Amino acid sequence: MAKQYDVLFRLLLIGDSGVGKTCLLCRFTDNEFHSSHISTIGVDFKMKTIEVDGIKVRIQIWDTAGQERYQTITKQYYRRAQGIFLVYDISSERSYQHIMKWVSDVDEYAPEGVQKILIGNKADEEQKRQVGREQGQQLAKEYGMDFYETSACTNLNIKESFTRLTELVLQAHRKELDGVRTRASNEMALAELEEDESKPEGPANSSKTCWC
Amino acid sequence: MAAENSKQFWKRSAKLPGSIQPVYGAQHPPLDPRLTKNFIKERSKVNAIPLKNKKASSFHEFARNTSDAWDIGDDEEEDFSSPSFQTLNSKVALATAAQVLENHSKLRLKPERSQSTTSDVPASYKVIKSSSDAQLSRNSSDTCLRNTLHKQQSLPLRPIIPLVARISDQNASGAPPMTVREKTRLEKFRQLLSSHNTDLDELRKCSWPGVPREVRPVTWRLLSGYLPANTERRKLTLQRKREEYFGFIEQYYDSRNEEHHQDTYRQIHIDIPRTNPLIPLFQQPLVQEIFERILFIWAIRHPASGYVQGINDLVTPFFVVFLSEYVEEDVENFDVTNLSQDMLRSIEADSFWCMSKLLDGIQDNYTFAQPGIQKKVKWRKEILDEEDFQGLLMLLQNLPTIHWGNEEIGLLLAEAYRLKYMFADAPNHYRR
Repeated sequence: MAKQYDVLFRLLLIGDSGVGKTCLLCRFTDNEFHSSHISTIGVDFKMKTIEVDGIKVRIQIWDTAGQERYQTITKQYYRRAQGIFLVYDISSERSYQHIMKWVSDVDEYAPEGVQKILIGNKADEEQKRQVGREQGQQLAKEYGMDFYETSACTNLNIKESFTRLTELVLQAHRKELDGVRTRASNEMALAELEEDESKPEGPANSSKTCWC
Repeated sequence: MAAENSKQFWKRSAKLPGSIQPVYGAQHPPLDPRLTKNFIKERSKVNAIPLKNKKASSFHEFARNTSDAWDIGDDEEEDFSSPSFQTLNSKVALATAAQVLENHSKLRLKPERSQSTTSDVPASYKVIKSSSDAQLSRNSSDTCLRNTLHKQQSLPLRPIIPLVARISDQNASGAPPMTVREKTRLEKFRQLLSSHNTDLDELRKCSWPGVPREVRPVTWRLLSGYLPANTERRKLTLQRKREEYFGFIEQYYDSRNEEHHQDTYRQIHIDIPRTNPLIPLFQQPLVQEIFERILFIWAIRHPASGYVQGINDLVTPFFVVFLSEYVEEDVENFDVTNLSQDMLRSIEADSFWCMSKLLDGIQDNYTFAQPGIQKKVKWRKEILDEEDFQGLLMLLQNLPTIHWGNEEIGLLLAEAYRLKYMFADAPNHYRR
C-alpha cells in the first residue's frame, strides 16, 4: 500500500501549563474544542497530513506537559523536532514572560535550524487580556519568529499558524538541500519517502531524489 | 484408540488454538440476546446517533495512522540486528489485529451491547458525541463556551468511561442483585474485618478480584496502611489522624498565598477545574476546595516532589469511595452540601491520608527528573523489544478457550488424566 504522504516531520508544542496547547492541537487535528481537558501528563501526540506547495506533508504534533517537573521528560523530545510552537496565553502576563525561558530551552535542547513560531492563544478572551498584541509582535521580532494570535475556541488562526510553521520547516530544509551537503542528509531526520514506483511524476516524486 | 480419541477431542473444540475470536474485555462483554432487543429499541429512540467510533473507526486505521510515529526518530540506540524478524512479526501482528477488529466491528455493528453496558451512566454521556458535535458547529462560529454549564456536554480528550464506570460501581442503587458467590465473598470480608486483629495478608488476597462495594471504604483504609489491623484501636486512630490533618490545615493552609508557595498553589489551581471535568460532582465548589486543601497540604509536606500534575487524579478514587459511605444513590451527581460538616471532614481527612500512603510508594514518579517514570519507560521498552510480545498479547486477548464451558473443560481434564495414567509407568516419556 502506498504511503499517503511525501514527507514526514515533527512539530512540538511548548509553553506554560494551561495556555491551551492541547486545545490548539485538538482544534487543528480534529476541529474540536473542549473547554475542559485534563492536564497533559508527560507527552502526547496527534498526526495530520496537510498539503503545502503540492507536497503532502505528514506532521506529527507533540503535545507536552507545561509544568516544570515534566521538563526532564519533555526536553527529550526537543531534539527530534523540526518545528516548535512557543505558546503563551494572552490573558496571562506570566506565561508571556516565560517565553524567554522556553526559548532558551529550545536553544539548548533543540537541533540547530529548528523553526520556531510564537503563538498568543486565547485571543477570544479580550476582556481578560494582559498581553497586548504588539507585545507579542515585538517579542516575536526580537527572536526572529513569526507571530500569530490564535483562539482554539473560535478557531482563529489555527490552520494558518500550523500551515505557516510547516512551510517554514519545508523551506528551511530546502535551503539546506540546495546548498552544499556537508552533513549526512538523514541527520536532518526529515524525509521518509515512499518506495512506490508506480506513482505518477509530480513535485513530490521529483523531490524524492534529494530528500531521501 | 487413543489417537482416535484425541482426534475427536480436538475436533470437538471447534475453536482452534490461536483462532481469531472477538475481543471481550470489560468494555465488550459477551453478547446477551436478552439485552440486545431492548438496546435496539433504546438506540432508535436516541435517533441512531453515530456513536463514538466515527472518528477512530478502527484499530487498523489507527495503526496505519500511527505506524510511522517513530519513523524519523533515528535513535542511536535502535537495534538493526534483526530487521527482517521484526518486520515479519509486526506484519503478522497487524494482520491479526485487523482480523480481530473486523470480526469485532461486525459484532458491534449488530447489537452494540458494549454501549448498553454503560446504561448506568447518565443519558447525557451516551449522546455525548452528538451534543458536542452540535456544540462545535456553534462554537466554530463565535460563541465560546467556557463555563461549567456546558462542560458536561463536551468530550474529554482521553477516554473517561473507565472512571465513570468505576464511580457507577460505587452507586448502591441499580446494582444487580448479588449472586451467591458475591454474597459468600462479602461474608468472608465481613468476617475478616470484624475479627479482633484483621489478617491483612488474607484481606489483600481476598481483595485481588475486587473489593465488594459495601466493605470497600474500610478495606481501602486498612490495606493502605492508614487504619490499624486491631479493631479496638481503629476508632481512636481515625479520630487522631483526622484531627492531625485538620491541624495541618490550620497550621499551613494560610501560607498558600505566600510567595514561596505561589507556584505550588497556582499549579493546583489550574488543575482543579481540569480534574474529572465531565463529572458534576467535581465541579462543586465545596469538592474543589477539598481537593485544593488535600493537594496543597500534601505538596508542602513533601518538598522533594511538591505538587505535580497528575497527583490530582490520585485523590479521586479515595474521595469517591469514602463519599460512598454516606451516599446511597448516584455519586456522580450527588450534591455534597447535603452532607454534614463532620462527614465532609472525615471524607477529606481520610482521602488525604490514603492518598499520602499511596504516594509514599510511588514518589519517585514525581521527584526531580522523575526517575520512577523513566525506569518504567525503560522497562516497557525492553518488553516491547521482545519479539514474541505482540503475539503473546494477541493470544491473551483472544484466548482460544474463551467460550469453554464445563463440558470442554471436563473433556480436557479427562484427556489429561487419561494420558497421565497411560504414561504413569513410563515417566521418561514426559521428558523432552
